[in-house]
Amino acid sequence: MNDSDKPWQHPFRRIEDVEDIFDRHDYVADRPLGLTTKLAFDLEKPVLLEGEAGVGKTEVAKVLAAVLDTPLIRLQCYEGLDAAATLYEWNYARQILEIRLAEADAARRDSLEQTIFGEQFLFARPLLQAIRHPGPRPAVLLIDEVDRADEEFEAFLLEILSDFQVTVPELGTFEAAQRPVVILTSNRTRELNDALKRRCLYLWIDYPTPDKEREIILRRVPGIEARLADRVAEVMRGLRAVDFYKRPGVAEALDWARALLGLDLTDILPETLRETAGVILKYREDINRLDRLDLEALLEGHAVEREPDA
Amino acid sequence: MAVDPAASSASLTGHTLALCRAARAAGLAVTHARAIDVFRALDAIDWRQPDDYRLALRTNLVSSREDEVLFDRVYRTYWGELEGAYEGDYILARSEMIQGYLPAGRANEAHREMLSETEAVGAEEVQRRANLALRWDDDAPPLEQLIRELARRLATRPSRRVRAARRGARVDLRRTVRRNVRHGLDFVELARVKPKTRKTRIVLLSDVSGSMDAFNPFLLQLMLGLQQALKSSRTVVFSTRTTEITNLLRRRSVPETLRTVADKVRHWSGGTDIGAALAELNRGILREGSARATVLVVISDGYDNGDIARIREELAAAKRQIRTLVWINPMFGASTFTVRAAGMKAALPYVDHFLPAFNAKALHELVRGLKALR
Repeated sequence: MNDSDKPWQHPFRRIEDVEDIFDRHDYVADRPLGLTTKLAFDLEKPVLLEGEAGVGKTEVAKVLAAVLDTPLIRLQCYEGLDAAATLYEWNYARQILEIRLAEADAARRDSLEQTIFGEQFLFARPLLQAIRHPGPRPAVLLIDEVDRADEEFEAFLLEILSDFQVTVPELGTFEAAQRPVVILTSNRTRELNDALKRRCLYLWIDYPTPDKEREIILRRVPGIEARLADRVAEVMRGLRAVDFYKRPGVAEALDWARALLGLDLTDILPETLRETAGVILKYREDINRLDRLDLEALLEGHAVEREPDA
Repeated sequence: MAVDPAASSASLTGHTLALCRAARAAGLAVTHARAIDVFRALDAIDWRQPDDYRLALRTNLVSSREDEVLFDRVYRTYWGELEGAYEGDYILARSEMIQGYLPAGRANEAHREMLSETEAVGAEEVQRRANLALRWDDDAPPLEQLIRELARRLATRPSRRVRAARRGARVDLRRTVRRNVRHGLDFVELARVKPKTRKTRIVLLSDVSGSMDAFNPFLLQLMLGLQQALKSSRTVVFSTRTTEITNLLRRRSVPETLRTVADKVRHWSGGTDIGAALAELNRGILREGSARATVLVVISDGYDNGDIARIREELAAAKRQIRTLVWINPMFGASTFTVRAAGMKAALPYVDHFLPAFNAKALHELVRGLKALR
């Protein structure tokens, strides 16, 4: 392939490389994630990660930035996000100051218009930062929770993601020397624009299997015993089968494991679960619900679909 | 099994194309660009690994979790029992399996058939012409004023985006600096902005099953009024079937409108299948246009003994494609009303605004309630 004209080589020759390298950064990547990540580099396409909150979507971008040893440029989306907040903004305070100074200085006045629209008066926002990243290794651009932004922003994003160039009227056009690796995440509160989705590689990230979760806990919670990690992973699976408002994610599992470790507990009893519920469940209704569940059964690994007295 | 590499590569292309076709037939958005990316992806991986081959196709061809499941099913069907039977050479599996798959895979048409054939649950399927003129109440107080008010409340709201405005409340620094640097150094002229107004479209889904008959005069008035006040809105009626009547409501004369609606909607006063109606919206009207700009208004008493799980599922899907779900329940006005209807119970968690309205008087209440509607 056209390897010769690429000055920079991404480190993922094989899918196993992704798994290994992520592993060294304490991120347990499964095959689908490994493959999609590798293809993101080979095809230079953005990746759209969807999944419940707290399954480690954002973490993928963080790990990638650490692996590549490049900046992680993060754009947190919200409704009404516009070009000024994502591309660039002028430093008005400095501009006004410069105008004041020019009042006293005729020489300054003549070139004023060029001066105050120069690069030193420009605030680069995430998308422009990503485009201006010099390389040779690509920056990692994380567009987080894109489902929170509105359609106007999606259309704008689509344009940026196809060309990776931006024109500032006063300064000219910036084009990416090295296209950033782009990770988009969505919690799926609404459907994204079809055109945007078609531009991306897609991956749904599910809650991890107990085996994988155990692995993650052992990695991320130093000093925890394998048996306790095992139990936490098992109980998490049981809890996620319950129809809570907000099912606990991996982040909650890790917090819980740390909490249990801190409390010097070696096994999980119904009281333990009740007392530490605030670490795992974040809605009052969910915590109340816990009281009505058959916790003994849950801790023994049985599915508790309905309340015992319902 | 020894494989001639050239033959193997030709067959890889053939199978990949066939899988793309099968995926498209199953309803996935397989564009040329995506198909090309599939082949670029195959260059980048070792496609002899069966699972990698599947994942490489999948990550390129799908856009949602449902798509992933659908693709895996297409994939399994395509390879049939041969999946995993060979190590690297399974690519050479029988190609006639494609032939078997393709006709069966036209999921879309099949689905549509299924929807229209959904049987009335607990109620008979109706196939007759209702005399709607008898259900039109000439003496009802005019609703134009109210409906215009309702339409305005539903269809506009301030956006977080701004536009230039002489009397705007906020100063736009970018334009102010630009403008003033040109003619003098004092900021004599401030450029201002104010919030844009967001245009919303309304999709009205109205229950015309037998249990709603008592409210027909009000229903008809509301449908006609809303459609005429807001040209971009869409009106759909359902009982056991679902029919869009937007175009029929555009006529001027009320009697003529009632006649054409009665001609077209033969299932008026039939049973109820809310789930099927929502499913049809989800795959049709709600997909068009943008999610943040759509308000779905359902008018129904929620009496549906059909597939309650389906109602839940379709409502959850609908919620991702709209901004607000308003449910107008004509039974809600009755003093003895409690939410007993199974369909209504299932729907409640997804409803943003649950409103009473069974006649013009109640509609006043409703419009008042809408002050807070976003």
